[in-house]
Amino acid sequence: MILFSRESVLCCLFAAMFAMFAVFIDGFLDWFSLLERARYWVIPGMIAVPMTFIITTAGIDLSVGSIVAMCGIVLGLLYSDAHWPIALAAVAAVAAGVAAGAFNGGVSSWLRIPPLVVTLATMALFRGVAMGLSKARTVSNFPESFLWISQGDAFKISLGGDEAAFVPVPVVALIVVVLLGWVLMRKSWIGRFTECTGENPTAAAFAGIDVRRMTFWLYTGCGAVCGVAALFNTALYATAKADAAMGLELDAIACVVIGGTRISGGEGSVIGSLLGLLIIGILRYGLEMAGIKSQHVVIFVGALLVVTAVLNERLARVRTRGVK
Amino acid sequence: MKKVVVAAVLLALFLSVGHAAAQDAGKANLRIGVMPKLIGIDFFNATEVGAKKAGEELGVTVDFDGPVTADVALQAQMLETWIAKKYDAIAIAPNDKAAIAPVLAKARKRGIKVISWDADALESARDFFVNQCTSESVAKALMDVMAEGAGPNAKYIIVTGTLTADNQNRWMADMEKCRKAKYPNMVNLSETPKAPGEDQALATQVTADCLKTYPDLQGIFAITSVALPGAAEAIRKAGAADKVFLTGLATPKMMKEYVTDGTLKKFVLWNPVDLGYLAVYAAAATAKGELKPGATTFKAGHLGEVKIAGSEIILGDPLIFDKSNVGSFNF
Repeated sequence: MILFSRESVLCCLFAAMFAMFAVFIDGFLDWFSLLERARYWVIPGMIAVPMTFIITTAGIDLSVGSIVAMCGIVLGLLYSDAHWPIALAAVAAVAAGVAAGAFNGGVSSWLRIPPLVVTLATMALFRGVAMGLSKARTVSNFPESFLWISQGDAFKISLGGDEAAFVPVPVVALIVVVLLGWVLMRKSWIGRFTECTGENPTAAAFAGIDVRRMTFWLYTGCGAVCGVAALFNTALYATAKADAAMGLELDAIACVVIGGTRISGGEGSVIGSLLGLLIIGILRYGLEMAGIKSQHVVIFVGALLVVTAVLNERLARVRTRGVK
Repeated sequence: MKKVVVAAVLLALFLSVGHAAAQDAGKANLRIGVMPKLIGIDFFNATEVGAKKAGEELGVTVDFDGPVTADVALQAQMLETWIAKKYDAIAIAPNDKAAIAPVLAKARKRGIKVISWDADALESARDFFVNQCTSESVAKALMDVMAEGAGPNAKYIIVTGTLTADNQNRWMADMEKCRKAKYPNMVNLSETPKAPGEDQALATQVTADCLKTYPDLQGIFAITSVALPGAAEAIRKAGAADKVFLTGLATPKMMKEYVTDGTLKKFVLWNPVDLGYLAVYAAAATAKGELKPGATTFKAGHLGEVKIAGSEIILGDPLIFDKSNVGSFNF
């Protein structure tokens, strides 16, 4: 049955797309450019990991982009106005993310307000906090050592002969986050309890799972990851700005949906979300390399989302029929 | 069966893409990439016309593309792809002066010449900046029009685009300087300018709110080609054309109907077709090595000898549009 698993179908789709682009487009197989472009995928990629858990519980977090912007501003203002050392400012920025996530988790879990409604509101709230704190100014004078986390290279892979590829630092960070997410989802009780909660919260509660505490910590964890992603986002553009990460929530959710995690909850795949990220990233990159204008690239990505959503539904039905 | 059909459709899509790409390859002349702040608005469509015309005249390939929203993050990602495509020169109108700098520096390291146009990037990140008019002349033209229309004691607000766009910020700073020097009795009611982004509907809403918030408002500056029609729509709906004097920067094509019905009396711009044209000439000349830092003029096709101040190439002076000439332009 491994042939029909979500992840292997996505893998084949990714391989097919990659091969197609490599054959038809001149200069596509430039590893240097591919890895450079991958730096930009790291931010939605990191956020897609906790988003997978949240969507598995049949919840959603629409405020992730705003949390990233807010944490970026906290970092920038503490470093440049309050003259904190950059490492301390970074810790404070992540702490701000944790606080934001806890707010989301607290209001939705304990005040029993649907996460869609809560995070829709906090999407505006946190963005407003970012705008208000920064008064629309941007901060750009970060030290090189900080910018290294997004713009630097971690190590060399030699590709035979003289060619070598440098693996960007953020890519390493993304791999770490994805591995952590995969271990939590597949190898620990957190993943199992998350899936149970999403499948049937009442049954989960009767089975002894503290549903409210679990979802609270999932949203808090998401906030923490947003804080970390904010550091990478700020370093990538060397600027902290209040209108950063616009639309990030939709990018992250698209990765999760393409990865096979259903919005109705119950099943989640972190590897699937990673594959979703790679598929969208390579598709956009390949189409742009082919010279397709951005209005049309948007159509392709939309079509892809529809096709994979349908594919995933069909696959899910095949699997449950097999079980019965 | 359905899966096979889906896979076949996807395959067909990709094959057609690959075919298009294969047809594009094989041109050995200079390749220039021109990126506006965003695509799909009149102003930048006009610059595309000029850019393509310059490409034809010079015999260089000009690719004009940009993100669908005025987002510097999308511009940066698209630029990464353009670096991989190894353009000889890139001309970009950045949405954020500083945030675009890292990727521009990467491009220059790879030997790609970088020109900024319309709005500037960090000076260290680009070879030249093609400015439509000096910032001071734009500001002066706007302030003079307002003084003429609403009087030297007018109370006004400013509606801009995004708060990080360098060109809009420079104009506003120079407008304030001009106000202090020439019209000290004018009052700017908006401490922070209103910034509805490059979104016309939002600009209408923001202006409508301002008309209610500031009852003694006498003038509005709407300094982007999207804010001005938006603001004009709000004023027309509120019937406030006699009370509030509107002016700003936009294309005559978009503003013609508002000038005809009297909502808008006078506004300012320059020729965006010429702006795109000059940007490509500058990019091509820099890529060929004909335009080097330290030059004070250079010849740009039908525009003749164009002045350079430091690393800023100036297109010319702003144009004032009113009822008499708004219909005579094709942009």
